Amino acid sequence: MEKEKTTSIFILDDEPIVCKRLKASLDRKGYVVQTSCDSVKALEIVSHTPFDIVITDLKMEGIDGMQFFTEVKKQHPETQVIVITGFATLETAKESFKKGVFDFLAKPFKLGEIFAVIERAENNIK
Amino acid sequence: MATFWDSKFISRLWGKNKPQAEERSIFEVFSSFRRLLDSNNQILDLMTGMGDKLGGDYIFDTHYIHTSCQEIASLVYKLIHHFNFIAQNRYPGLDDAFWRINTGIQEMLEGKSSLRPDRQCTISDTFITADLEEQVGAKNANLAQLKNVLDLNVPDGFAVTSSAFHWFLAYNGLDREIESLTAQWKENQISAKEASERIRAGIDNAAVPPGMKKEIQKALKKLAGWGSKKKLRLAVRSSAVGEDGTNSFAGQYTSCINTCVDDFFKNYKTVVSSAYKREAMAYRDANGFEEHEMAMAVGCLEMVQPLVSGVLYTLDPVRPEENRMKVNAALGLGSPLVSGRAVFDDYDVDRETPHKILQMTVGEKKQCLVAQPHGGVDQEAVPDALQSKACLTQEQVARLAGIGIMVERYFRAPQDMEFSIDVSGKIWILQSRPLNIKEEMSRMVCDIPKIKEKYDIVFSGKGMVAQDGIAIGKVFLYEDGQDLDDFPPGAILVTRHASPKFAMIAKYAAGIITDIGSPAGHMATIAREFRVPTLVDTGIATSKLKQGQEITLDTEGKVVYDGSAKALCYYVFADDNFADTYEYRLLKRVLKKISPLTFVDPEDKRFSPRFCQTCYDITRFAHEKAVEELINLNYYDLKHERSRAQKLKVDIPLDLMLIDIGEGLAPGAGTRAVLPKQITSVPLNAFLKGLTRKGMWNSEPMSVDFKSFMSSLTRTQPPHQTQPGSIGQNLVVMSKEYINISLRLGYHFNMIDAYMGPNPNDNYIYFRFFGGVTDAGRRTRRVSFLAQVLEKAHFRMKQDNDLLVAKTKKMSWERMEESLVLVGELVAFTRQLDVKMLNDTYVKKYVDDFWALSSRSD
Repeated sequence: MEKEKTTSIFILDDEPIVCKRLKASLDRKGYVVQTSCDSVKALEIVSHTPFDIVITDLKMEGIDGMQFFTEVKKQHPETQVIVITGFATLETAKESFKKGVFDFLAKPFKLGEIFAVIERAENNIK
Repeated sequence: MATFWDSKFISRLWGKNKPQAEERSIFEVFSSFRRLLDSNNQILDLMTGMGDKLGGDYIFDTHYIHTSCQEIASLVYKLIHHFNFIAQNRYPGLDDAFWRINTGIQEMLEGKSSLRPDRQCTISDTFITADLEEQVGAKNANLAQLKNVLDLNVPDGFAVTSSAFHWFLAYNGLDREIESLTAQWKENQISAKEASERIRAGIDNAAVPPGMKKEIQKALKKLAGWGSKKKLRLAVRSSAVGEDGTNSFAGQYTSCINTCVDDFFKNYKTVVSSAYKREAMAYRDANGFEEHEMAMAVGCLEMVQPLVSGVLYTLDPVRPEENRMKVNAALGLGSPLVSGRAVFDDYDVDRETPHKILQMTVGEKKQCLVAQPHGGVDQEAVPDALQSKACLTQEQVARLAGIGIMVERYFRAPQDMEFSIDVSGKIWILQSRPLNIKEEMSRMVCDIPKIKEKYDIVFSGKGMVAQDGIAIGKVFLYEDGQDLDDFPPGAILVTRHASPKFAMIAKYAAGIITDIGSPAGHMATIAREFRVPTLVDTGIATSKLKQGQEITLDTEGKVVYDGSAKALCYYVFADDNFADTYEYRLLKRVLKKISPLTFVDPEDKRFSPRFCQTCYDITRFAHEKAVEELINLNYYDLKHERSRAQKLKVDIPLDLMLIDIGEGLAPGAGTRAVLPKQITSVPLNAFLKGLTRKGMWNSEPMSVDFKSFMSSLTRTQPPHQTQPGSIGQNLVVMSKEYINISLRLGYHFNMIDAYMGPNPNDNYIYFRFFGGVTDAGRRTRRVSFLAQVLEKAHFRMKQDNDLLVAKTKKMSWERMEESLVLVGELVAFTRQLDVKMLNDTYVKKYVDDFWALSSRSD
C-alpha cells in the first residue's frame, strides 16, 4: 500500500462499476472502504457504523442520494460527505452544499480529482 | 387508408416531396454556417472526451455513455439541419445516414442481442476485436487480439457468432423448449440428466437455417483459400459467451479436432450440444449463471499439425509467490495433456529474461495423440529415442516465455495459454485465458511492504495519463533518429516527444513516458490499443531518468519509483481489469460508430452520404460541402433589404464594393464610402494588406498584341468556371471572420473565400483564378507561377490550363493571416503578368521577383 491510513470511506452508487473501481483505487491507497449499490441497505450500514467519509451518488431508486446523506449528517454530523453525480446542475449543487455536503463532483471525473477531494475532506476532519 | 400510391417512393417520383429552394438572405446562410461550425466543434470535443475515458484515468458509468451518445446524436442532428438550410436540402441521403448510424448506436446501448436472422453469422478473425466478445465469445475475442494486435502466430479462422446460435435455436423452436425443460429441472420436476438428454436430442435433430448454412459455407471456402476444401482440416471449438472470463468453464464444453469441412455442421451441433451437458448445466447453476444467458459462439480454426503441444502458465498457479512460469509439454496434440490424461514434461521457467529453465522434469512419453491424414485423431506410439527426451529446448522455452510475458502484459493478468510447435519450429498460440489465482494474489498483496518507504520516488504528479497501469522495467531513452530496432522487449520507452512511430515497439514495451504529448494524440490511441501504461507531457522524464535505470511507473499516482516494485505488479494482477468491464467494452463499441473517420479525400467518388459509416464521417461531409456551398453562392442573386453595398476607398485603382453581413465594419462607418481603417473584418484586412503592399500593384499600361487580344475575346469560358459576380462589380461579402471576394482585374477573375476564427479547425482559404488577356500559353504560365508560389505556402492545388483552384485549411490564426496577405500580394502582382510571360523561363523569374517583394521576405 502507498501509505498507512485509517480513514474509513463508504461509497454508495447504484452503478456497480463506480463502486468497484473506486474501491479498488482507494483500497490501494490504504483507505478502509466499504461499498453498496442499494441506498436502503446503505442507510442500514451507516446507521450502525460511522464512517469518516461518505461518497454518494444522487439519483437512485428507493432513497435518493440527497435523502441518504441528509440522514447520514443527522446521525453522524462529523462525517464528511462528497456527492458524485452524473446529473450535476447548479440547483443540485447549491442544495447539496446547503445541506452540509463537503464537496460535489460531476461524473465522469478523474481518479486524481476524487483523491484530492478526499484528502481535503480528511484535513477537514483533523 | 394509405395505399401504395401514397408511399414515399411514389411521392418522390412525382416530385411531391421535392425540396423547394428557399429564398434566403446572406445573413441567414452565414448564420447557419456559423452554427454548423459550432456544432461541428462541439461534436469533435465530445468525441475526444469519450475516447479519453478509455484510458482508465476516469471513473464513468453507463449513464455517461448513454448521455454522451444522446448529446452527439442531438448535435449531429442540429448540424445536418443547418447544413440542409445552407445546401437547400440537396443531400437527403445525409439524414438517412444519420438515422442508420444512430439506430446502430441505440441498439448497442439497448444491449439488443441479435435474434434477427439478418445479423452476421460469421466473422473472420481479421475483423474480430475485443469489443465483439458478446458476439464471438471470449476465447475467439482473445485469440483475435493476440493475432491482430500483438501479431502472434494464431491459426487462421472465423467465428460462428452468438447471433447464429440464437437463430439456430429459434429456427428449430429450441429456445422455448430449453426454457421449459430448464424450468422443470429447476423446479425438480425432472432430473438434470433428463433435461440435458432431451435438450441435446433436440439439438442433434435440428436443422441449420439455410441462410446461416450459406454464410458458413462461404466462410469455409474463404478459409480454404486457393487450396482444396477437401484437404482443409479444422479445429471446431467452443467459445461460449462468459467462457474464459472470470469463470473459465475449463473442460466443460466439447471441441472437435482435425475434422473435415464436410463434417462441419455435424461438429457445430456437437459443440453447441455440449453446452447442455449435464456437468455444464450444473457448473452454470453453481456459478450463478442463468440458462438464458447461455450463448455458444463457435471458433473454426485451421488445424495446426504439431510436433509438440502444451500449456504455459505465466505464473505458477500452485506457488505464485515463487514468481516463476510453468510449462507442461507433450508430443503431438495437446488435448490429452489439458484433460489430464497424458504424461508430460514439466518446466519451471524464470519470468525475467533470458527466461532460463530453472527446473525440469522429463516424463516417460510412450504414447502421443496424432492428427490422422484423413481426419480425426489417434494414439500412436512414441519412438524409443524420444520417450525420455525433453520435448522442448531452452531456446523454445525462452521464446514461449517471451510470448507469455507479452500476452500477460497486454491482458494485465497472468495467463493460462495453450500452444503448439510445428515441424518448422513455429510457435502457435491456440488459446489464452486469465489464470484464476486471484485469491492467492490477494494474499500476496496483503504482505506487501509500504512502497514509498522501500523505493525512492524519481518524480510524481507530472503529466497526463494516456493509458493506466503499472509498468516495471529498464529505461530505454530514445532520441530522434535512433533506431527503434534496438528497443529491448519489456523496457520502458522514455522519450521527448510522443509520436505514432512508436507503434512498432508498443507491443514490446512495458510502459511509455514522454516529456511532451497529449492523451488525445495518435500515440496515446496506440498506447490504449496495446494497453501499454503511458504517461505523457511530464516535461521532465528525459532529464530525470537514466538509460538502463530500473523503474516502476504507477500511472494512478503519476509516480515513477526508482527500482522494480513487483508488489505493485501483483496488486494489479489481483485487481479486476477495467478493460474487461462491460462499460469499457460498451464505450469502445459505440465509439466505433462515432469517431473513426473513413472519409479522407473529398475528391473520392465515395465521398457521399451513402458511404458515411460514422458520426465523424457525417460531420466531415457536411463541413466540406457547406464550405463549397458558401464558395459557390451567387451573392448577387440573394435578396435582402439590409444588404447595402458600400464602396471601399483605397489607394490602388480598384472599384470594390463591400457588403457587411456581421461586424465587418466599425460602428459609424460611412453609408456610401468606407475607409480601410473602418474595416473590422480580420480576413479582409489581411487580404488588403497584401493587395496594397508597395511594389506589388503594377500600374504600368501593358501593350497587348492584337493576336493575344483576339485570343482572349474568342475563348469561351465554360459556365461552371464563371462566377456570375465576376461579370458585374467587384464585390466583397464580409463579416468579422469571413470574406467572399469576387474580383475582376483586367481580363482575369479572382475569387477568394475564407473563414478565419480562433479555432484552427474552422479556418480555410479557397482561391480560384482564371482568365487573362493573352494567348493560352501565357495565361497558363501565369497560373503555373501562382501554383509555384502557393505550393510553397502549403496550399493544395488543382490546375487546368488557365484555371487554378487552391485550398488550405485548419491553420492557426497567425498562419491564416500570413496566407491571406500572400493571396492579396499575389492578386496584385499577377494583375497583368500574363502579358509578360513570353516563355517558360519567365515563370521562375517572376517567382523569384515575387518572393523578393513579398512580406514573407521581411
